[in-house]
Amino acid sequence: MIMEPLVLENVEKSFKDGDKENHIVKNLSFSLKMGEVVAVIGPSGSGKSTFLSIAGALQSPDKGKVIVNGTNISSYTDIEKAKIRLNHLGYIFQTSNLVPYLKVEEQLSLVLKMANQWTKGSKRKVKEMLTAVGMEHRVKFYPHQLSGGEKQRVAIARAFINDPEIILADEPTASLDSNRSMAIIELISTIVKEQNKSAIIVTHDDQILPLCDRIFVMKDGQLVEDGREVLI
Amino acid sequence: MYFLPFKEMTFFKVRYLLISFILFFVAILVFVISGLANGLSMNNASSIINMPADTFYLQKSAEGRIDRSHLTTMDLEKLSAKDDAQPIGIQMGAISKVNSEDKLDITFMAVQPGSFLEPNVMAGKGLKGGGENSVLLDRSLKSGAIKVGTIVKDARSGIKLKVAGFMDDQTFSHTPVAVISLDTWDSLAGSREKSEYNGIVMNKDDSGLKKDVSSLVKNGEWVAKDQVIKGIPGYTAEQNSLYMMLSFLIVIAVFVLAAFFYIMTIQKAAQFGILKAIGAKSSLLVKLTIFQVILLTIVNIAAAVVFTKVFMTVIPDDIPFIFDTAQIAKFSGILFLVSIFGSLLSVFNIVKADPIQAMGRLE
Repeated sequence: MIMEPLVLENVEKSFKDGDKENHIVKNLSFSLKMGEVVAVIGPSGSGKSTFLSIAGALQSPDKGKVIVNGTNISSYTDIEKAKIRLNHLGYIFQTSNLVPYLKVEEQLSLVLKMANQWTKGSKRKVKEMLTAVGMEHRVKFYPHQLSGGEKQRVAIARAFINDPEIILADEPTASLDSNRSMAIIELISTIVKEQNKSAIIVTHDDQILPLCDRIFVMKDGQLVEDGREVLI
Repeated sequence: MYFLPFKEMTFFKVRYLLISFILFFVAILVFVISGLANGLSMNNASSIINMPADTFYLQKSAEGRIDRSHLTTMDLEKLSAKDDAQPIGIQMGAISKVNSEDKLDITFMAVQPGSFLEPNVMAGKGLKGGGENSVLLDRSLKSGAIKVGTIVKDARSGIKLKVAGFMDDQTFSHTPVAVISLDTWDSLAGSREKSEYNGIVMNKDDSGLKKDVSSLVKNGEWVAKDQVIKGIPGYTAEQNSLYMMLSFLIVIAVFVLAAFFYIMTIQKAAQFGILKAIGAKSSLLVKLTIFQVILLTIVNIAAAVVFTKVFMTVIPDDIPFIFDTAQIAKFSGILFLVSIFGSLLSVFNIVKADPIQAMGRLE
């Protein structure tokens, strides 16, 4: 068992803004341990989402290494990255981003089918996963029939269904009220601990920080670990 | 994975029904206009279209128009022994029933009885069986007043003709054809010496025979059957108008269908982003999109073909309509390719669809 499923070493990423290069991420190093939930905070425009999309194999860095489960994926092609996303990463978005025309259970089975992991036991696995997020009574519903919190629960179940080592959440509570936000982060945290996964949560929401194991602040294109007490 | 397009289409029923309707109606319009074009073409020129002819020998100065071509009788007699090269006479005229002033416009077509030029009858007897001064009429003239055995007279000369039989689909320049023998033709003209013929028809491509005919009958040229059909008065103008409409329709269809499928994929950019973020490859999404378009096109074109078949049986008989399977297949193919082309335009957008945008915000 690899103890650090995700390691970033000296990662750089810049975007061209007119004539000048805009260094969003500079010399960033970071490692994620099994079984922990990490929060990343920082002002808008500080590069949190860029960090997340590099860590999540959506973008390749200009320089540096991105090591997922011991493999450096920094120079992978789009097709190879899609495969990494399918098998090792689970996403939770700001808005749940469910596929509008699929029922709740189909949202989950689609992921397994795309990964060619659909077997006889998969149906039960989907049911168990939906039970774990408290959505077993909604399996036949379409996304538009669910509330915001329910959609986010389905999105969480979808992120976990293909047994990814790493969960990446981008503002997962932005569209929810505070009670629901806490419940969602608790849910992510519980599943991460139970199944020995790890999670990165990018957030603006200070009240969820006590539920995270470590907190990083995005500053000048780098991630700086911060004490929890400083923020509270 | 091919269940995804089905799920999508059943979920967004209204959207896909609308697209289907557009495909369906464009296809119907193309099929119906081509059916009418064929129908009119047949209604105009079926006597020549149905003639088992290969080439026509017409007067040079006639420029391929059989009604303007004149060859003298003297020349034609030299050909009498040749079965595969037959003289033909075509003359607009009118007939009426004996004791009646009501004239019917017809086109006299003079042929050698029993030759390959004499059309088959669907009722009654042929020219040989009908005896002297017998006439075969197009089926459209068959009525309570005119039937087999009725005597009609030529409006100009007053010569009486006996209706020997009726034929299917024999028209020339939108008038029904009356087939008579060459002897009758001569007597309508007054005498053999005064009589003129319009051309010589050959039923096969025989260069030796062509040479013979050309050397015997001067001042003529060989004209292909297609050219002769186009030379029938009104034929080209009519067909050109219809084909102009058809080609515009297809050009419009290209843009409408391409634009529709293009917009449809652009609208789905966010969906593609989500699917990519959870691990779908671009190639899978492209495959699914094209599969969906193929499905929509095939279903709707098939429905339009069925509709056109039904339409054909429902419209009144006096609207000429012909369902030409080969042509319908050709137009179906064109519409199919156009739709695929439209969806291919959007492949670029699928490949470009950015999973990062699906995350809801960008920095």
